[in-house]
Amino acid sequence: MREPTGTDESTRRDLRRELLAAMSEGVQVPWSEERFDDLALRIFRYQAEFNPVYRALVEARGMDPAGVSGWRQIPPIPTRAFKEFSVAGSSPEPPQARFRTSGTTGGRERRGEHPIRDLSLYRASLLASATGFLRPEAELRGPDWADRSLRVLALLPDPQERTDSSLAHMAGVLAEAWDDGKGGFFLDTEWRIDHLGFQRALDQSAGLGAPVLLLGTAFAFVRWLDGGPTRTPLPPGSRIMETGGFKGRSREVTRVHLYAALSDSFAVPVERIVNEYGMTELLSQFYEPVISEGVDPGPQARRHVGPPWIRTRVLDPETLEPVQPGRTGLLSHLDLANLDSVSGVLTEDLGIQLPDGFRVLGRVAGAEPRGCSLAMEELLSSTGR
Amino acid sequence: MTTPSNGPRAHHTRESAESFLAELRASAADLSSRSIRDLVRVLGSVGTRFLDPDDPLRKAAEERIPEEAGLTPQMTRAVIEGMARDWTPTRLTKLVEADFPDPGVLDGFRPGPNGDLLRAVGGSLAFHVGAGSVPGVGATSLLRSLLVKCPVLLKPGRADIALATLWVRGLAERDPDLARACAVEYWPGHAGGHLEAAALRSADRVVVYGGSDTVRELRSRVPPTTPFLAYHHRWSMGAIGRERLAASTEARRIAAAAATAVATFDQRGCVSPQVIWVEEGGRTTAGEWARALAEELEALETSLPPGPVDAATAATVQQLRGTAELRAATGTGDRVFAGSGVGWTVLYETDPRPAPSCLSRTVRVKPIERLEHLSELLEPHAATLQSFALEASDERRRTVGEALGRAGVTRITSFRRQPWPPAWWRHDGSGPLQALVRWISLEEPEEPRRENP
Repeated sequence: MREPTGTDESTRRDLRRELLAAMSEGVQVPWSEERFDDLALRIFRYQAEFNPVYRALVEARGMDPAGVSGWRQIPPIPTRAFKEFSVAGSSPEPPQARFRTSGTTGGRERRGEHPIRDLSLYRASLLASATGFLRPEAELRGPDWADRSLRVLALLPDPQERTDSSLAHMAGVLAEAWDDGKGGFFLDTEWRIDHLGFQRALDQSAGLGAPVLLLGTAFAFVRWLDGGPTRTPLPPGSRIMETGGFKGRSREVTRVHLYAALSDSFAVPVERIVNEYGMTELLSQFYEPVISEGVDPGPQARRHVGPPWIRTRVLDPETLEPVQPGRTGLLSHLDLANLDSVSGVLTEDLGIQLPDGFRVLGRVAGAEPRGCSLAMEELLSSTGR
Repeated sequence: MTTPSNGPRAHHTRESAESFLAELRASAADLSSRSIRDLVRVLGSVGTRFLDPDDPLRKAAEERIPEEAGLTPQMTRAVIEGMARDWTPTRLTKLVEADFPDPGVLDGFRPGPNGDLLRAVGGSLAFHVGAGSVPGVGATSLLRSLLVKCPVLLKPGRADIALATLWVRGLAERDPDLARACAVEYWPGHAGGHLEAAALRSADRVVVYGGSDTVRELRSRVPPTTPFLAYHHRWSMGAIGRERLAASTEARRIAAAAATAVATFDQRGCVSPQVIWVEEGGRTTAGEWARALAEELEALETSLPPGPVDAATAATVQQLRGTAELRAATGTGDRVFAGSGVGWTVLYETDPRPAPSCLSRTVRVKPIERLEHLSELLEPHAATLQSFALEASDERRRTVGEALGRAGVTRITSFRRQPWPPAWWRHDGSGPLQALVRWISLEEPEEPRRENP
């Protein structure tokens, strides 16, 4: 028998309030196992009861939600499920946003969709993490806190124009809370760089003005750097957040080179260049804690950590059992900020389990094609011509 | 010449690359002095050695392939035997005769059908680029060029070096002069340097196996006047008519053959089925047949075990399984059958539209109302279809086969034969030797007088 619950809306209201309060505490103080378990299990039971797709899974597995006693037992759904199912829970109102995954395979494959019922959870989660990991000298004071003494320059599309991009939305939140009014977005809706505009913004930001937070995808930074040698030293205290740099790329070569080139181009020390690992399917993000910890083991030895309301297991790709520390496996996240969809998400990203975090290796494609058989990824790309 | 290495030869200077190729090219004279009959005999005698489990060449292949290609010893033996079966004198003769009813056209001018004389020449240098990890594809490709008397440089796929190298070694032992007409050189993609550049520039013909990116890239580097033959990646499927599902023993027998077709090459072959349709209305339902297929794949895990699965493939298998589990849970009627690891997976899907799998013995089974509906389902994939195992009555095999052919399928077969297209198959729709020659016609000075009606 299940415990008696209130209505789904009253349960949700309580969980949401609790999450927002927890997020406003920031990311620096870790949560005990008990604290995480307690909230995780209550959110799991809520989702297992009121999220139709997730409830079907839990029932099909014959699980009794009340009998689940630790967060590690909470079943994840695969990221590909976001392409096929509406993962949103039951909700009386339409979603405030629909974030979509990038169409990386020639556009034939359906894109994943994460309907967001409540952007305030996303905002609170991302702002707390970004503050803790990108701007630890600032003090987070609740979700409405703002400190507009930075200049936020984003090699990302304007979130008003690309409302389906969770990444652009995130940059929008940061700009709104932190930007001194002179920053901006320098990719168009097709993710092309506005070279003139970006250069002008860089020139206006150079020198001794407000420190800059430069945001962008690794791909955009590479294209910008390829565009020509324009050195624009940014003011002291500037920092760079780079994201999306892992998929399909060789970490060892490109990251070291990219960071060296960024550092050289913008006069930002490498230890103030941070990778963010996030995904459309999650409302929380992971960062390399080099700014927050003041220690940089070098781009190849860094690790990723998230806020206390997300925990990650590294699972054996064959058995989905947890791997031993130091071993490689699939990243499976439990993000409590995903209150209105599904918290447990099994990714296709590989990572190494570390004692205090993990190291993302990205999606490791075979070094050479596997045979003469057409596998799914290639079919999708070859028919998209 | 035997250059069995994946090493320093690839580090050619421009000059050494050119002289290396010139040496190969020089062997064309000796090659063209051989009769096709003689060639078949010599080349076939090398191939036959791989069928003898005690032969040192065969033993060396069994030793090297498992690590190189990530196949288990059992699968390695099955692959060597399956490939070498087509390398014997008998099968090579059939291959030559299938493409050249008068094989003498490879030796000199022969009377053609309309009074002209015809001759087929292979050229003096072919460059073959293999792909991936199906052992034997490279050696087969190399053999084809030698049969049309064209010296050949083969760059095998990373996991197909051993068999090609050993085959050339066998040829050198049997006929050192002939062995000078072929070379096997491996280099990783984008590391071809001067040798690859020179070969692409100067070969009379370039043959490429590979994915779209490889084909596109190499094609762009070949002079527009050079014939370019691409065997791009393809995928295969199968279907079972209800008339073959009347007896449960027959349904089971087909499931066993289908499981072997899926498992062979650990599904890496372009001939490996990825989707199987089961016609509704038979005594065995599609769902029951999917379960039988799963049981057969489970059994093959012991008798023909799969090799290690790389993490990226395993990740995709887990995604497919997890998504299918959700579909099943939400009442679509879909089901998942899977082993304990990621060695095999049967996805029973009610959506009849085909979608490729992620390999690693992952196969989709789909119910279909009538086999006659297959062609419209296949049409969007016309450019990438290959072998289709059609288990149906003789009459329906012809009518449905006709429609499959129109949809893009080039080989209609059975599950039992699916993994092993015969030597003489029309590879991706054309004669494999015909694709490697240039015809020369010698016309009579005067047009033959028209006969009275």
